[in-house]
Amino acid sequence: MKRFASAFTRGFDRFEGILGGLVFLAIVALMTAEMALRTGKGVGVPGALPMVQHLTLWLAFLGAALAATEGQLLSLATGQLLPEGWSRRGAKLLASAVAVAATALLCQASLEFLLLEKDFGDEVAFGIPVWVALLVLPVSLGLITLRLGWVAGGWLGRAVSLGALAAAVALGRHPEVLEGAPMWPLLALLVAAMALGAPIFAILGGAAVILFLGDGVPMAAVPVETYRLATSPTLPAIPLFTLTGFLLAEGKASERLVAVFRAFFGWIPGGTAVVAAIVCAFFTVFTGGSGVTILALGGLLFHALSTDGYRERFSLGLLTASGSLGLLLPPALPLILYGIVAEVPIPDLFLGGVLPGLLLVTLIAGWGVREGLRTGAGRAAFEGRAAFAALWRAKWELLLPVFLVVAIFRGLATPVEASALAVVYALVVQCLVHRDLSPTRDLPRVLRQCTVLVGGVLIILCVAMGFTSYLVDAQIPSQLLAWVVEHVESPLMFLLLLNIFLLLVGCVMDIFSATVVVVPLIVPLGAAFGIDPIHLGILFIANLELGYLTPPVGLNLFLASYRFERPLLEVYRAALPMLAILGLGVLLITYVPWLTTGLAGLLR
Amino acid sequence: KMATLVPEGSVWDGILRHMGAEWSDRTDGQVKLRLYPGGVAGDEPDIVRKMRVGQLQGAALTVAGLSVIDEGFEVFELPMFFESYDELYHVLDTLRPDFEKRLEAKGYVLLNWGQGGWVHIFSKKPVRSVDDLRSQKLFTWAGNDAMVQLWRRNGFQPVPLAATDILTGLQTGMVEAITTTPLAALSLQWFRQTPYMQDLGFAPLVGATVMSRRAWRKLTPEQRSALLEAARETEKELLEVIPEQDEKAAQQMAERGLEVVAVTEAQRAEWRAASQDFERFKHGSMKDTALLDKVRSTRDAFRQRQAGTP
Ligand code: NA
Ligand code: NA
Repeated sequence: MKRFASAFTRGFDRFEGILGGLVFLAIVALMTAEMALRTGKGVGVPGALPMVQHLTLWLAFLGAALAATEGQLLSLATGQLLPEGWSRRGAKLLASAVAVAATALLCQASLEFLLLEKDFGDEVAFGIPVWVALLVLPVSLGLITLRLGWVAGGWLGRAVSLGALAAAVALGRHPEVLEGAPMWPLLALLVAAMALGAPIFAILGGAAVILFLGDGVPMAAVPVETYRLATSPTLPAIPLFTLTGFLLAEGKASERLVAVFRAFFGWIPGGTAVVAAIVCAFFTVFTGGSGVTILALGGLLFHALSTDGYRERFSLGLLTASGSLGLLLPPALPLILYGIVAEVPIPDLFLGGVLPGLLLVTLIAGWGVREGLRTGAGRAAFEGRAAFAALWRAKWELLLPVFLVVAIFRGLATPVEASALAVVYALVVQCLVHRDLSPTRDLPRVLRQCTVLVGGVLIILCVAMGFTSYLVDAQIPSQLLAWVVEHVESPLMFLLLLNIFLLLVGCVMDIFSATVVVVPLIVPLGAAFGIDPIHLGILFIANLELGYLTPPVGLNLFLASYRFERPLLEVYRAALPMLAILGLGVLLITYVPWLTTGLAGLLR
Repeated sequence: KMATLVPEGSVWDGILRHMGAEWSDRTDGQVKLRLYPGGVAGDEPDIVRKMRVGQLQGAALTVAGLSVIDEGFEVFELPMFFESYDELYHVLDTLRPDFEKRLEAKGYVLLNWGQGGWVHIFSKKPVRSVDDLRSQKLFTWAGNDAMVQLWRRNGFQPVPLAATDILTGLQTGMVEAITTTPLAALSLQWFRQTPYMQDLGFAPLVGATVMSRRAWRKLTPEQRSALLEAARETEKELLEVIPEQDEKAAQQMAERGLEVVAVTEAQRAEWRAASQDFERFKHGSMKDTALLDKVRSTRDAFRQRQAGTP
């Protein structure tokens, strides 16, 4: 019986992985077919757009269910700071129980939404009703609930989770008990659970559900927003660019890139450190600050740095910081996400991010040069012939950004279409040109890993929208606007307060949910103080980039601690100088708007 | 709670807020309007969904949202189906009960007709003949795949984009023509990228204020008639103010270099023929064509009467 059960779970798990990969490929295929067929007087693929949008919804939730299986749902992991033993076990129990209850509430809310949509009978395309597409919501959320409960910590954890599940079902049946009740005890419980390691999406979603219920609004209001974001025409760009990054990181592209940058920059003092910063930035542009850079390149670069005689603490700090360099360079994920949420043109953000992004890379590289000069770490001689051979080998990887820039800025493709082209480009280069990746052996694995990661990120974005919707519903952005306009006098003062506020946000929130929740609050403020909307976007992302390195909650800090097998406190210390340097860069980006607007001004 | 896409601080926003104040006055403060303008509650399909789940009670929608509720409203999306405000309002007034019934069946109450102005073709190269438009890449809203297909079937080159991408799309040349009202072209600065406006009207931007029946039922009969009365006054005000504003906007743009492209009588006939092609396609793709047929016959009867009176 037990063996049968485990075989079943494994089979089901594989099925989910394959389904996720197929959804990914279907999105790419539909978008490329549509682009190819519509050029000239072609008819394109009818229904391609709505199909892609709903497939993205599937990708998000299938991926999230897989992430739950693999324990990869993003959480704050501050629970790691607790000592081993009963306190850590207790924390896990509490976090799991709250997460189970919150996910169960979300599952019921999405079921409620699905049933309403079923009554209205809208269609996606090809006669597929919307409610069928929506099935993925309650099914995935149900699976996540079960999985979170199952791993809550032995049979005691499972029992407690069952109790939490029952409480959530009871609340779903009688939502009116919360109407008008004080919300702070439940919210405090949720915040505590988040700090103790409950998945971020569950806490944000749970908070949105109970806040709406407190106002007497049906909880289906949360999945409505989930659906709105997941089916936004621009969202597919995020999973597709991430997949491009995964494909490149899987093949030997990283080695080719390290080789070429080393050949050209290795001769300057601190050359290897400079190379590390540039290569990390190049990859983060595609992997979008999801931490993949540290995981994929960390080992290779750490080895290169220590071989060349860099101090360990320096290398650790450098790589921890470099994992989020490049977030401002096009087509990085935060730029796309900001464009969607703030409703500003994404190509403008791409253009605005170039100089600030290069500034941050230069600052970190400069710190590397200083280290090189101080310690006299190994330098390589410049050899023209070898350098050009390396350049030639890496030509396809290096041409990808050029190809994308041309496609987007010559009006040949939207950012989303460009992302689909990027996947095709990376597939062709990795599978056919370099043959680094076997389509049968490696591709399914890469697709699955990418689905897990994308699911973990997208589900946060999706439920964070529900939380933001509550803020809008309660008219908090307009109240905040009125308050700030009354109390803050100058734009300069406003920017200073914004810096401090965003630094605090970055300390406790991840960049994804922070963008979705905070941007609707600050966009009207920026407009009131006459801040250029593109400048506001770039300074917002730059400020949050610091959040990757600020204790206690910094994604890069955790990932570096995990990847390099060093205690968290040691990573904190190593990253501190980098935090100071990047902080300087962020101040420049904030107070010198020309860095953002200058390039667009020169080109137009 | 009522949501709408009209920008905060715009003419429409002011008129809707005024209506809200009237509602409160005439019901002794029993009915208070909380307005969510500027699309903060999402695009129109999102707004409709929020009314379904009960988060919102009302909305001031355009055809985009109304067609989500009932496909009968798609008739207002047809290019060059109506040729004047007189024609349009004759149909809207005559068939008000029919549209009310349609909405009623889907759980909504029609409070008034809205008016977004008259949509024109704005383009990078002048559009006189139908082929002039066929040769330019045309913006279409990414949320409406049916419309994209309709354009394609008729030999046009629609480029589906999110509304926020219009200006960039025009700058990079991804789109070369858009259909929009003069007021929108001016306030969103699209006209700087599209120096030509066709003088032939493309379509009216019809709208309506609707309320969910669930919320409507909670009102007393007196409250209902007070709300309807104020809403009808708003309808009249919109019809007076908006066409005037459109005209002013067109003048301002002309002063800043916009060229109004005149269409000859022969080209006008060509556009009418193209419009009928669109209508046939639409007719073929609709499940229930009764309303479309009724709208057409009402319009044709009005046209005949107009032609008869010298
Ligand atoms: Na942080
Ligand atoms: Na963070």
